[in-house]
Parts: sequence; structure tokens; C-alpha cells
Amino acid sequence: MADFFANLYEWFGLIPFYSKDMGDKLRGWDITCTAYSETNWYVMIGTFMIILTVFFYALQYHIIDKSRWNKKQHWWLFALVIVVLNFLIAFTIPFNAIQAEDFCNTLILSVSDCIGFGISNAIWSFILFILITTIPVFRRRFSTNCRETTFWKP
Amino acid sequence: MARLFVFAIGGTGSRVLKSLTMLLASGIKPDPQKEWEIVPIIIDPHKSNEDLKRTERLLGNYQSIANEGGLSNGFFSTKITTLDKLVASENRLSGSFTFNLQQVSNTRFKEYIDFNQLNEPSHALADILFSGSSINKRGEEVNLLDVEMDIGFVGNPNIGSVVLNQFKDSQEFKEVAANFSSDDRIFIISSIFGGTGAAGFPTILKNIRNAMNNNNIDGRGFLQDSKIGAITVLPYFKIEREADSPINNSDFIGKTKAALYYYKDNVTGNNSVNALYYINDDFGGKALVNDPGDNGQKNGAHFVELASALAIIDFLKTPDRDLECAAGKAINPIYKEFGIRNDVAGIKFSDFEDYTENQISLRISQLALFRKFLNEQASASSENQPWSMEKPELGQQFLNDSFYRTNVTEFLSSFGEWLVEMETTGRGFSPFNLNSSLDSLVKGKVVKSGAFSKRVNYGFYDDKLNKHSRGKSYSSASQKMMDLFFKTTEDILTSKFGLKK
Repeated sequence: MADFFANLYEWFGLIPFYSKDMGDKLRGWDITCTAYSETNWYVMIGTFMIILTVFFYALQYHIIDKSRWNKKQHWWLFALVIVVLNFLIAFTIPFNAIQAEDFCNTLILSVSDCIGFGISNAIWSFILFILITTIPVFRRRFSTNCRETTFWKP
Repeated sequence: MARLFVFAIGGTGSRVLKSLTMLLASGIKPDPQKEWEIVPIIIDPHKSNEDLKRTERLLGNYQSIANEGGLSNGFFSTKITTLDKLVASENRLSGSFTFNLQQVSNTRFKEYIDFNQLNEPSHALADILFSGSSINKRGEEVNLLDVEMDIGFVGNPNIGSVVLNQFKDSQEFKEVAANFSSDDRIFIISSIFGGTGAAGFPTILKNIRNAMNNNNIDGRGFLQDSKIGAITVLPYFKIEREADSPINNSDFIGKTKAALYYYKDNVTGNNSVNALYYINDDFGGKALVNDPGDNGQKNGAHFVELASALAIIDFLKTPDRDLECAAGKAINPIYKEFGIRNDVAGIKFSDFEDYTENQISLRISQLALFRKFLNEQASASSENQPWSMEKPELGQQFLNDSFYRTNVTEFLSSFGEWLVEMETTGRGFSPFNLNSSLDSLVKGKVVKSGAFSKRVNYGFYDDKLNKHSRGKSYSSASQKMMDLFFKTTEDILTSKFGLKK
């Protein structure tokens, strides 16, 4: 699971939004610089990203589920909320660690790493929201008023 | 499928037929277990009568909608057909709903009876029988024999009974007889205080009951013992006083009495009819324009015509055992009248007796709610709600199609006109606030809404359309429209307005 999320956030090594040191911190490299024994933030934040995205999908498609909240502009509004929240979560956690100097002192971490991780988390939440809402199985089966709602229609 | 042949005679006949068409369009059915095919035949010498033309257009649109959408969708679910459609081959009929009266256009009555060719005794008899005077379409006083008949018989049933007797030899009557089976029924609509209806009813009835003596037709036995219902409409409106018009309010009662006296021996007295409905209203109200026919005769729809149309529904509900005939006579003739609970100027659904209210309030309200959505919201919802986006699509292309633009829009526009006219003609029938918001559409019905109950607005309407279309398959866009809106309007009106199914 940890490797799965690490690969996602590090874009399989292709697009580094943040430094390798930030990757180590997120994998749980401890403050004594000896092992990956601290909280694995990749798993925590990744799991939370999925839960949050699914929650907002459910909110629009199944809880609110109104004919007046089923246009593409409403989809984009929900997507914006998901992206912003996921960015803030992924940015805040390492940023607080940096502010508290709660990390191995051999690691070089900066605010731009926090922003990079926040962007990465936001992008994955956006992709996940697109996937959930584009694949028709769930919305068609369980939503009444939003069963045709995706990012391009209606 | 059993057939009901409806003979609609004169202007009142056309207008009652229009009300019947509205009732059938709204989904009112006499018997859910038994399907009826309605075959209207309009008998009116006055071909340019606006009431007749409006009814014909309405019937044409009804037919097109039912043909395209099918008969299993709630709205427009009773088949209405022209007489020519019943004839398999050698079709000699025009395909219209009107009976083709011969030799009345631009013809004076005396030309019709070849007055100048009659021998001396017949000439003298005709002189006596048609000795009165009338006023022609130019406002000139003329002898009855010189009346021009292309605007009807303008209150002269003695002329009408002669001219309408051509019915027995007509192609239309032959086709009715040839296609009549033992399950079929006949209904005759006429007014009693004018010329065409008062004369036409007993004439047609007599020709049907005497079918056995008519060698020109097939199916004589079925016809002679057919189950016949009729409504005779007594005076129910006033007309403006016009010195140079052949029609006067003051004549209505006298003509009615004379006709009833004739019916006493020749209609009711000899048990010719199985079920006879009488209706009148002395409320009066605003007088109608006095138009004998030369300006097109366009009278506003009246509540009495709607109540008269209900007589047809009631007749179809009557079981066969109550309409038995023997040797052309009804064994147990039925006579009925119609009443409402409250004697008020503006009738709402709650002013009806329970039976009538339960029979019509939901269905007519459904059609009104359907019309309101199409007028006010269809364009906005047509491209952006699941109910309209899913196949078969009810998008802008459908709304631009002739089925919708011509047939549906025109029909529902006539329905709106009909409701507005009934509000203002005579004793008003005004069960709807047609221009109000959705939740106050039905007068006297408070929509349930609150913290846990949604308001009725177009968002709610779209929600319900989406709910009822979910997972459904439809054979065509037109079928989808009719089925979906019928179920949705029924749901909204029963759950939110408290109307009973």
C-alpha cells in the first residue's frame, strides 16, 4: 500500500513535484535518521484523499441528488472544493512538520516541497473524481438526478 | 375493441365533442378493463362554423398524437378514428370527421325540396308546413322556404328534419351499418333549442331504429337493436338581443317545450333510446354574441358542454345488461340528469359531488400540469436533465419536430383556450390558477410543504421526471413524453396536492 501511494505521488519517478528528501519524510523516515519508523504519510494522506473525494462524490450524486445541482458547473464546483481541500491537507501536514522541525536533520525540506506534495495530492483527487463520475456504473445505478452529470455535461 | 359511434349534431354537438376530446386526452377512461374506439361523426350543414372547425382540428391533432405516441401511456389513451378508417376497401369517404350533407351549400330550402316542381297538393302542403318567416344571413326577412341553409337551419327544426333525413341514404350511414357489431354503441349529442340539433336527433334515432326497413344498408339487425345513448342539451346560455337576427333568447324555451312534446311521443314515449341524458343551466351569465352563423359562429366553451361530455363517459360505463333492446325498443330505458353540490358562479373541483370530482379532477389537473411544464419549462430542461438526455431523447430536436411543434403544442394550446373560455362563459368552471406558480395551480388544494416536505416548483418537477424515467425503456420519443409526463403528473398531484386516484 505504501509503495502504491508513494509511486502515485512521485508520479512513478517521472514528474518530481517535490524533492527526494520530502519523499523520505512522507515514507516515515524517523527523526533519528535510522529507519522508516514514523507515520507513513503517503498511506494516511492517500487514504484520506480517497475518502474525501468519494464523500464529495456521494454528497453531490447521492445525498443532495437534485435536478438543480446536476449541471457541469456544479460538477466543477465540487471538483474545486475537493482539489482545494486535498491540496490544503497535503500541504499542511509536512509544512507543520517543517515549522516544528520535526524531521531528520539530514533531510533538506522546503515550503516548495510542501506545495509540490499538495499539488500532487490535489491532482490525484481530481483524477479520482473524474474517474468515479465518468464511469457510469455508480451514478447510473444509484443517482436519480445526477446520473448523466460529468465534467462536460449537461 | 368495441366502438362508440358519436353523432355530434350542430354547434352544441361540436362543442360537446370538443369537451369529450379533452377528457379523453387527459386520460379519463370509462372502464379501465374495456377499451373503446370512438368514431365521431359531426353533422352540421354550416361548414364554416368555427366551433366545428376547431373541433375537427382538435380531433386531428388527437389522432396524430395517439398514433405516434401509442395508446398505452395514460394521456390520449382512447382511440379516436374517422369513419373512413373502418372501411377496408373502396373508400368513398373523405377521411374527415364531418358528415357530408348534400346540396345544402348555397341552396335555398325550396330548391332543396324542388318546391317549384311539386304537384299541386304537395305544393300546398309544403306551403302550410313551411309558412313562417325567418331572417337570412344579410339580415333580411325572408319566407322560410327561401332560407339559405349553408349557415345551418337557424332555429328551424322543421327545415332541419327534412334535410337531415338524407342521413338514411348517405354513404356514412351505410358505412356505420356495415361496420357495426353487437358490442358497439351509439351516442347522439344535440341541443334542443335550436334548429339542427333539435331536428337531427329524432331523425337519426328514427333511421337507426328503423334500420330493418332500409334495404340500402348491411348490418340492419345489429343497428336496430343497438345500445343508444343520447344527450339533449336544454337552454344553457343567453345570446345578445339583435333585432335583425333570427335567433332570440325568448324563443329558446318555446322551442324546447315544442321539441320535448315531440320527443314525448317519438323518442322517450316509444322507448327508442336506451339512456337519455338531460342537461340545462339557467345561470345565464354574460350573453354570447348573437351570431346565427354568417360570422363563423365561434362560441366560448361552456361548463355544460363538459358535463354533457361526462354523459358519454357515463353511458360507456353502463353495463350491457342495462341497455338491452328488443325489436328496436329499449327494454329498460334510463333517464339521467347532472347536478353539482354547490350552486356557485365559479365552479371548482370541490363544488362537484364526490363521484364527479374523483372522476375528473386528477386527470384534468394532470393535463393542465403537463401543459404548464411544456409552456414554461420544457425548453430550459430539454437539454440538461437526465429524463430528456437519455434515449430516446426529448431534446431541442424533439421540441422542433412537427409532432411536438404542431400536434402537441396546438392541442395543449386549445386545451388552455378551452379552460379559459369555460372560466368566462356562463357559469364559470375555473378549477385552476393557470398563470400562477406551480404550487397554487389547483384551486382549493394546499400543497404540503415544510421542513421535511419539498416545495412544488420546476426543480421538484424535474426531480420527479428523473425519478420516473430512471431505468425505463421507451419505444419512441413521443411515447416517452406521454408516458413519462402522465406518471409524473399523477405522482405530483396525488402526493403533493392530495388529489385522489
